[in-house]
Amino acid sequence: MAGAAGGRGCRMIRGAQIRDVLDAAHNVLFDCDGVIWNGEAAVAGAPEVVRLLKRRGKRVFFVTNNCTRPRENYVQKFSRLGFTDVAEEEIFSSAYCSAAYLRDVAKVQGKVFVIGCPGVLKELQDAGVPVAEQGDEGPDVSVYNLPLDPDVKAVLVGYDERFTFMKLATACGYLRDAECLFLATDPDPWHPLRGGRITPGSGSLTAALETASSRKATVIGKPSRFMFECISSQFDLDPARSLMVGDRLETDVLFGANCGLATMLTLTGVSTLEDAHELQQSESPEKKDCVPDYVVESIADFLQALEE
Amino acid sequence: MAAAAKCSRLGGPLARQLLDSVDSVLFDCDGVIWRGDQVVPGAAEVINLLKRRGKRVFFLTNNSTKTRKMYAEKLTRLGFGASADEVFATAYCSAMYLKSVCGLEGKVYLIGSGAMRQELEEVGIQQVGVGPDLVSGGQADWAAVPLDPEVKAVLVGFDEHFSYMKLNKALQYLADPDCLLVGTNTDTRLPLEGGKAVPGTGCLVKAVETAAQRQAHVVGKPSRYMFDCVAAEFGLDPARSLMVGDRLDTDILLGTSCGLKTLLTLTGVSTLADAEGHRESGCPVRMAMVPDYFVDSVAELLPALQG
Repeated sequence: MAGAAGGRGCRMIRGAQIRDVLDAAHNVLFDCDGVIWNGEAAVAGAPEVVRLLKRRGKRVFFVTNNCTRPRENYVQKFSRLGFTDVAEEEIFSSAYCSAAYLRDVAKVQGKVFVIGCPGVLKELQDAGVPVAEQGDEGPDVSVYNLPLDPDVKAVLVGYDERFTFMKLATACGYLRDAECLFLATDPDPWHPLRGGRITPGSGSLTAALETASSRKATVIGKPSRFMFECISSQFDLDPARSLMVGDRLETDVLFGANCGLATMLTLTGVSTLEDAHELQQSESPEKKDCVPDYVVESIADFLQALEE
Repeated sequence: MAAAAKCSRLGGPLARQLLDSVDSVLFDCDGVIWRGDQVVPGAAEVINLLKRRGKRVFFLTNNSTKTRKMYAEKLTRLGFGASADEVFATAYCSAMYLKSVCGLEGKVYLIGSGAMRQELEEVGIQQVGVGPDLVSGGQADWAAVPLDPEVKAVLVGFDEHFSYMKLNKALQYLADPDCLLVGTNTDTRLPLEGGKAVPGTGCLVKAVETAAQRQAHVVGKPSRYMFDCVAAEFGLDPARSLMVGDRLDTDILLGTSCGLKTLLTLTGVSTLADAEGHRESGCPVRMAMVPDYFVDSVAELLPALQG
């Protein structure tokens, strides 16, 4: 196991080496975007890898910062892309975990003001957490005299295509009360789209609200530990026997390090091997925590280790 | 010399001495000479007397929602005799920065006010993007929005029409590493009448910086540029200039960085305790936010000017 002096290994592995890593892991946690699929296309071999891992008795979980869909939509996507027998309970999105946090950890008594998309609203609804009306329609409403609902006890911010200055001002109004909780679904500053484009992420909207309110959000998504604690509360995971597989060093790998998991970078998504080596050279402990134990070109490389 | 005598109350003879030692006085606006539309009592008289005594007076504001002409109108309406060329507001200074410092040849993608558009046009820079702009249709449509190839800079100022779509467009333009990113200021709140506030430009700049993973060049206080802008047009000697402001982290820091004398007035954001806290800290960054002098209000300068 990596020590403080040596740092994590960042070892490119294949074949028998992968088999050894998988043998040591009872639980395998996969990020989704850039790991098992890219947009609407499964990473070649990924569905077979998941099937084989389960056949070998591993528990498989999917941990994604993507807060745009409710879990039932994810189940449909898995099915559509050829992943058979992925159950809803195995899917942990930042939207689902934010709702779980509000209900079970914060035990919020009151409504939540949400800056987010329908996926987040659905998860809150499913969790029985009441959501405040948006309230930004109407002729008398302006940023200079915002109607605030006295029942709001928490603000949750995440990716929102309908984000406006009005929503920012409203959320800021609620956060003036120090007792009002401040949560963010995930810290991702941008997300990759098809064709090499990127789009602003939850992190950029959260940054605006943190600046406006002079407060720091409690971030639910990776690299924060909460999503792991959420999974653990339902499935009792031993970090020492768990492997995190992701494509973003500062999100997935750092998450793994924060939770005491073994970490593996796959090169089918955002981060490159150069990125990993650059972080390895860094003096900063936080940057060093973004260095993975292992690197694979694609999770399809597991097939050789699993098929025998 | 200054270090020992920092943050002293400015009374009687000291005020006279200070005013005699300067040729130019630079005033912040919000929290110094007015609060929203309410004049700080005595402020207009102070400015008018300073001018009568042959001092040059300038107004420096981070507020990007008005042109210098609009500010001159407001100043006149509230009883301060002032002309547009005495005003240095960030809408104007950003346009000057892009023109003179960046040598911009091309358009600007503007997240900002109509006033900013006007100031850009005054220096011959065209903009795209001002006004409402919302996402419509599916992600496949709006994410692939066509970009104007002539845009060479993104400028972010106060914008009530700020939206995800505008943030997205800014991000697309900034994918070109040669596209500049400029912000008018980083104030977190825009002060309004009655002590209310709305989120300030700093939030919008932060959103763009976070998405694009790079830092903006910020024009407004405490960046030096606001002072350089005044000095370039009027040839000021910093050692014979006084900065009067209500915020330690913008006004006073600007003054100290540029070698001006500094006066804190307590009619706005910062408190005496804030200033003393910085002074006791021993931290060089914080020490730069300690004013030379403070007054409860600029009206305290009147006796020195009237005598």
